[in-house]
Amino acid sequence: MTAPEIQKPLLDVRGLTIEIETRRGPAIIVDGINLTVGKGETVGVVGESGCGKSLTMLSLVRLLPNKIKVKGGTAEFAGRDLLKMSKSELRQVRGGKIGFVFQDPMTSLNPVMRIGDQLCEPLIYHRNMSKADAGKRAIELLRLVGIPGPEQRITAYPHELSGGMRQRVMIAMGLACDPELLIADEPTTALDVTIQAQIVDLVKDLRKKLNMSVVWITHDLALIAGLVDRVAVLYAGTVVEDAPVGELFARPTHPYTRGLLASIPKLSDERASRLSSIGGTPPEPGRRPKGCPFAPRCALAESICHERVPVLEPVAGHSGHRVACFVAQRQLKEAA
Amino acid sequence: MTITPVNLSSTVADDEPPVSLWRDAWHRLLRNKLAVAGLAVVILLAFVAVFGPWLTPYDFLTQDLEARNQAPSLAHLFGTDDLGRDVFSRVVYGTRTAFVVAIVVTTIAVAIGVTLGAMAGFFGGLFDRIVMWFTDMTMSVPNLLLVVVINASLKTPITAWMEARYQATLNPFYRETIWVDFLLVFGSMALISWPPYARLVRAQVLSIRGRPYVTAARALGLTNRLILMRYIVPNAIGPLIVSVSAGLGTAMVLESAFSFLGVGVNPPTPSWGNMISDGLRVWQHYPHLLAAPAAVLGLATVAFSFLGDGLNDALNPRGSK
Ligand SMILES: Nc1ncnc2c1ncn2[C@@H]1O[C@H](COP(=O)(O)OP(=O)(O)OP(=O)(O)O)[C@@H](O)[C@H]1O
Ligand code: SF4
Ligand SMILES: [Mg+2]
Repeated sequence: MTAPEIQKPLLDVRGLTIEIETRRGPAIIVDGINLTVGKGETVGVVGESGCGKSLTMLSLVRLLPNKIKVKGGTAEFAGRDLLKMSKSELRQVRGGKIGFVFQDPMTSLNPVMRIGDQLCEPLIYHRNMSKADAGKRAIELLRLVGIPGPEQRITAYPHELSGGMRQRVMIAMGLACDPELLIADEPTTALDVTIQAQIVDLVKDLRKKLNMSVVWITHDLALIAGLVDRVAVLYAGTVVEDAPVGELFARPTHPYTRGLLASIPKLSDERASRLSSIGGTPPEPGRRPKGCPFAPRCALAESICHERVPVLEPVAGHSGHRVACFVAQRQLKEAA
Repeated sequence: MTITPVNLSSTVADDEPPVSLWRDAWHRLLRNKLAVAGLAVVILLAFVAVFGPWLTPYDFLTQDLEARNQAPSLAHLFGTDDLGRDVFSRVVYGTRTAFVVAIVVTTIAVAIGVTLGAMAGFFGGLFDRIVMWFTDMTMSVPNLLLVVVINASLKTPITAWMEARYQATLNPFYRETIWVDFLLVFGSMALISWPPYARLVRAQVLSIRGRPYVTAARALGLTNRLILMRYIVPNAIGPLIVSVSAGLGTAMVLESAFSFLGVGVNPPTPSWGNMISDGLRVWQHYPHLLAAPAAVLGLATVAFSFLGDGLNDALNPRGSK
């Protein structure tokens, strides 16, 4: 699988740092994330629960909860810094140019509003559509995301739909105004396995049809292997490895990535996966180790790992593959 | 792509698809028998309260000393009291008193409670703490005690002042002590009734403000006003309406309790409370004097509470069966 040709990325996040106000003072949650998404590209963002995936994406449209603030970095979207633009410009981006699909379809829809009305809202607001036109478009959108009988379904309340259907509605909402970028934050976590695959297929299909970029957040690498062009692996609020998806599976380089891949259960080899799954837990905010954030759990850690923070550097000879690990980089150089 | 079966409950499968939350709620309300019964009683009582004077065969003050303490009959549906006044007519006028007190008191209490509660929930911080402190304070003092203290300390000076004004101006307005009654009753009842509304609204705003669907609405770029009106208020209003409906019934009971204790609406203005209080003194001999007002008060309270429960279910599409 090859990534589409990338000139100037649609989204270019640099050095994004997010802090949370705690009782013991501010603590860093996201530490200098770099992430690019090209036009038409689909990027998977993978990492354990709590590593800052959701906060990173919410910070792009400045929807962080109280007490959590962006402390540094830039996030250029189509050449404009999202973190600095005016409120009114930002509102045009939200829903208009960047669509969101959230993790929990059960709670992310307004329970007292018919799904048709919820779908119409962004259309009326961003596209100045009349109510009638928005209603027609809502039906089209529901059909687009594979909801049967959309004419009847627009009058349903969220609780009248199954989880998978609700997630389709959420996707339709994210797509309502033809966004250039769709950010899907673990859109399948709350669904059962067969429905998960359907949603992945749906987005895969839509992405081509609508020619948009997608960021798909997940902690399930296997699920999105066939969907994404590139994967960014997050650990404790930093990108530790970033590579085209085929390259990542073929040559996982960071010890954490290797652990992640090895812990994907394989029916044929259950014992091996259990043996290689990563022990320990990620650092809590405010208790980040001094050097490499992964060092306390890393089997390869050396003294330098506890002293200095490794930065994301290209893996020689493999274009588009970058890794933040002293030992891996050294081994690669020795091998070359 | 395969399509999963959809769990389609019957709620919306109505003859004609309604378009708004409110109309849907109305449809659901009509399907709830207890709520409809409650609503019917409330409407009937409201009708009686408004058109009472045209419905009663007698005036509530007319005394017929020939016909004292009569048992119910065709001439006097609920009998007569110790002054020979028609009890039915007095109950009807009492309905008016009850509604006026309940509506005015609840309106004042809701206005204070919703404003303070919503602001406390929205702004948080010091303002929140001050409001909650007032709320806790007010709620920790026994209601009746507070009202008795207010009445005892204010009623005499106000009445004395009114009398002085009358002596000075001879304006008969100053002899109408009924206004003082109402003012004190309304004022003190509103004072003890707003804290629950403030708490409720504050809790609602706090919890809804952080719901995922509010974040999702923000992510769609909707304005704060739209989010407030379409996402926060409709989700917050259900419990408030329920509590207002129940509150109307509670206010009627409160008014009766105050009248009973002699700190409410004073005779000869008929109120269910002072009728109950009069009736209690002689109930062994003339049970109808107690039964009539007590039954109507009970009916009103139950009706408001059924209506409130029904509204709760109706306004919450998830809860409907
Ligand atoms: N509202 C909040 N208040 C306090 N801490 C928060 C809040 N939201 C997130 N955090 C903390 O920030 C860190 C990153 O959270 P985030 O939601 O971005 O993780 P995530 O990678 O999306 O995890 P998941 O896979 O569970 O969704 C976590 O350690 C979490 O405890
Ligand atoms: S830098 Fe050191 S501690 Fe960090 S992942 Fe590499 S080897 Fe492990
Ligand atoms: Mg998350």
